Amino acid sequence: MTGCCGCCTALKPRYKRLVDSIFPDNPEDGLVKDNMQKLVYYGTSKPEKLDRIGQYLEQRLSRDVTRSRTGYVSISMEALDQLLLACHAHSNLFVESFLKMVHKTLESPEPQLQILASQSFVKFANIEEDTPSYHRSYDFFVSKFSSMCHSSAEPETTRIRIRVAGLHGLQGIVKKTVSDDLQVNIWDPVHMNKIIPSLLYSLQGCNMDNDPESPKEDESPGVVAEMVLRDLVCRATFGNITSVLKPVLQHLDYHKLWVPNKFAVKIFRILMYSVQDQYGHMVVHHLMSHLDAHNKDEPRVKAGIVDVVSETVVIAAGGSVGPSVLEVFNTLLRHLKSSVSVQTSDRQRVLDEKNFQEAVINTIGEFANNLPDYQKIEIMMFVMGKVPLLDLEEDVSSGDRKDTLLQTMLLKTMLKVATKYRTVLMINAFPPAFLDPLLRMSLAYDAGIRLIVQEILHTLLDRHDNSGKLKFVSENSDTITWIPKDIQALNLTVEKASQQDIFFIKKNGPQFYSCIYENMLQENNKVDNFEALYCTLALLSIELGGEDILVDLVRLAMGIQNISVSSDLPVTHTCAIHAIVAAYLNLIGQLSAIPNMCTHVSEIIDARKNKAPHLLPDFAFNRSNTEQSYPTSTNVKDELLFDQAVINEALTSRGYDTSTLGTPFTISRLSQSRLGRMDSWFAETSSGSWLQDEVDMAHSTSDIHSITLSIDSSSSSQTPLMGQRGQAPEDITFESLKKIITEDDVERKRSQEMKQKAILEKFQTAPFEQIVAKIDAESMVFQNKLSEILTTISDENKDNAPQHQTTAVFDMQFPDLYVY
Amino acid sequence: MEDYKYLFKVVLIGNAGVGKTCLVRRFTQGLFPPGQGATIGVDFMIKTVEVDGDKVKLQIWDTAGQERFRCITQSYYRSANALILVYDITCQPTFDCLPNWIKEIDTYASSKVLTYLVGNKSDRLLHREIPAEIGEHFAKQHSMRYLETSAKEAENVDRLFTEIAVELTKQAKENFLRPRQDSTSGKVGMPNGGSSPVGGLSCCKLN
Repeated sequence: MTGCCGCCTALKPRYKRLVDSIFPDNPEDGLVKDNMQKLVYYGTSKPEKLDRIGQYLEQRLSRDVTRSRTGYVSISMEALDQLLLACHAHSNLFVESFLKMVHKTLESPEPQLQILASQSFVKFANIEEDTPSYHRSYDFFVSKFSSMCHSSAEPETTRIRIRVAGLHGLQGIVKKTVSDDLQVNIWDPVHMNKIIPSLLYSLQGCNMDNDPESPKEDESPGVVAEMVLRDLVCRATFGNITSVLKPVLQHLDYHKLWVPNKFAVKIFRILMYSVQDQYGHMVVHHLMSHLDAHNKDEPRVKAGIVDVVSETVVIAAGGSVGPSVLEVFNTLLRHLKSSVSVQTSDRQRVLDEKNFQEAVINTIGEFANNLPDYQKIEIMMFVMGKVPLLDLEEDVSSGDRKDTLLQTMLLKTMLKVATKYRTVLMINAFPPAFLDPLLRMSLAYDAGIRLIVQEILHTLLDRHDNSGKLKFVSENSDTITWIPKDIQALNLTVEKASQQDIFFIKKNGPQFYSCIYENMLQENNKVDNFEALYCTLALLSIELGGEDILVDLVRLAMGIQNISVSSDLPVTHTCAIHAIVAAYLNLIGQLSAIPNMCTHVSEIIDARKNKAPHLLPDFAFNRSNTEQSYPTSTNVKDELLFDQAVINEALTSRGYDTSTLGTPFTISRLSQSRLGRMDSWFAETSSGSWLQDEVDMAHSTSDIHSITLSIDSSSSSQTPLMGQRGQAPEDITFESLKKIITEDDVERKRSQEMKQKAILEKFQTAPFEQIVAKIDAESMVFQNKLSEILTTISDENKDNAPQHQTTAVFDMQFPDLYVY
Repeated sequence: MEDYKYLFKVVLIGNAGVGKTCLVRRFTQGLFPPGQGATIGVDFMIKTVEVDGDKVKLQIWDTAGQERFRCITQSYYRSANALILVYDITCQPTFDCLPNWIKEIDTYASSKVLTYLVGNKSDRLLHREIPAEIGEHFAKQHSMRYLETSAKEAENVDRLFTEIAVELTKQAKENFLRPRQDSTSGKVGMPNGGSSPVGGLSCCKLN
């Protein structure tokens, strides 16, 4: 018997004998080391035999696997590993049989064997082959390793080991295939759709099991998965980043991981930190398209996605936007718009939409943050272009809140962008194409919108972080006095305005002034509005002030004071306006250090403190006021008003050219026209509440007359500015204007002739640009005014549909006619 | 030498809790695990059967029914040679979902994949909600084969997998006889979807 066996043994080929000899009688003993060395030596010296060795080992192994002789299987694997390491350079076929064995071992239901096989595979993956094999397929390995990542084996330790083995296996495949174009394309969606969800699932598991504080084991599935994912993503190129991102997004969808989005954020952080810099925008882009795909979904989901977008944008920084800047903003704005247009009575839904809108706005802010400054302005202009401008006519009448809401949202967006902008030169921050619509917006009907516009102005005007110190709303209002005796208390940072800024304000100042002036007149102003207006005023004088426009500013202040005297705004408004004027004159008085003016101002303030505290900010801006706390009469005694003559003198004494100040209504030629108009309005509507009054067509015609008139006078008021000071044809005041309207023609004609002459002269002498700029500004304001008037009219004739159309026509044509 | 002649991939799909895992375990291990938990992701089993004297290896991928795993399970359809769509005859909703599953198959699986519709839990006759005829009719409409099984009573389970093995072997043989580009390499190509299962059948390996 033995002899026969011996005989057989002798007949066996040498390689078989060598292979057999490495297996001990008892599998517990492990590999027979000496014999293994012999086998390795044999393999390296006779590479042509390697194939056979491989096949024979494979045969033995598959037999052992079927008979579940785990011990022998491990030995075979070990032998294979060693052979592979020693002789890999020589034989492709050997690798084939090696892979087949790994395959076979993986098929075993035995966890131990699966783990073993994965380890062998990883060893194989670490070997650099010099001869590529084109026909090798990793299909099964990808499938199996992915499945292992989801293992639910018991007990937990085994499960974790299997999962980790699966993850390592996946990593091995990636390592093996990714660097070589001739290999299987691992980026194919077929594979990625298995690999990515497996990685994410492992990450997810770890996320839920242990909190972030607990020490991480090196070999927990979560840690390994993260490593593998990073490894994978950093190898992704432009062409195949998509196949990574798609399954990620899908996985997050299916597992409903957008709400809450902690995990999604985590994943995208990993992605962003590992992806090659130049592809960062691809990630953002995919998220955006995903958002598009979810357009119809719950706002909470969308908010989750947008949140993730903003997180990734923060990481990607400059690289986040990619080639299509506007596209990104356009998409976000579109979502904002569609969200705003959702109409629902469901409380929760409304809240969700609101959160979504917030998220979108924040994200836009993050995007904008990464843009160069000039592009930020462009973006603001772009957003501005999206703002529906119909509100002047529509809002009041239709009561449709949608547009207002959209406007509010878009303006908030702009505010967000604006806060990221660092103003250096005013002229850059406010290009005319941006400033014009912005100021037009500042006269919107909705008080909230006006407030936001003012805030935008604040952030753009404010270069030295002063606005916080100028807002009285701050919680610690006890410490901040509204009207400090000494301006130092406010701790303002003041820097002298540059030449360019002075040029800017000279050119655009009137626009600002008239806007502020008109804002004061708005009936539905709230305390916030007034505060914001004060802030704008103060910022203008701090940032752009100085001697050059001081007179203009004082004029404006006086003009504003006159509103409260002459108009019939509610008591609360009047008080607030008086308060603003007081605070403001105090501020500019001290800023420009004109002693006489300061004295006068503080005298008046003291007087008010004693006799009429309601005309000071401490009272007027107090939100806890009730109707009853205000005085019943709006009449303010002259001694409590700032006296123009005194201020005039004070300014003159310091060498200011106050000739223009003498004509109060030229303070701002625009406000003058405004006042003129106001007056005529009052004349016509005997009762004060003209808004509620029935206004018929006759009224509106006379309105237009009065406007034409006031425009004329406003042109004349330009003449002083044009360097013909002192030649002002008449001392235009409230009263005089009133006279103009009511008095007989002769005088009017005469004055008109003079005005015409002045205009002619101006047009003949002044440089073209200057004229154009002035007229542009004017026509803009004029248009505003006009449309406002027409709105009022149309509001009062709600039923009269054609009216709306005519307004549109006027709106379009009047300025053109006037300008050219 | 290889211990099988053909290798086929079979994928089980269907709603959660219809008994996919039980079917597979009954077939591969011959047992019925009471209180089987929900499958996570994808599970893998292997079983070799004999068809006309040839050894046929079935790679069985048992997918999770839960919707959240849809992303990973879908990726397994494509390489399948046969799909087993399972529903629970005692649970109307699992039947109602079938059209959705058909849509999934159309989207993700290869076009000519062999599909079986299986009504499981046929042992619970008292609770039956879907009559066999309706199931059969539905299967016919969508050109699927139909079987009712009981993993618990081992009814029709073996038959199901054997039928699949026989059918796929038949297809493979037909395909093998037809001259094909890759037949020279000795690989058995499946007609469906270019998936390349493979048993090695090369003569050079027959030493």
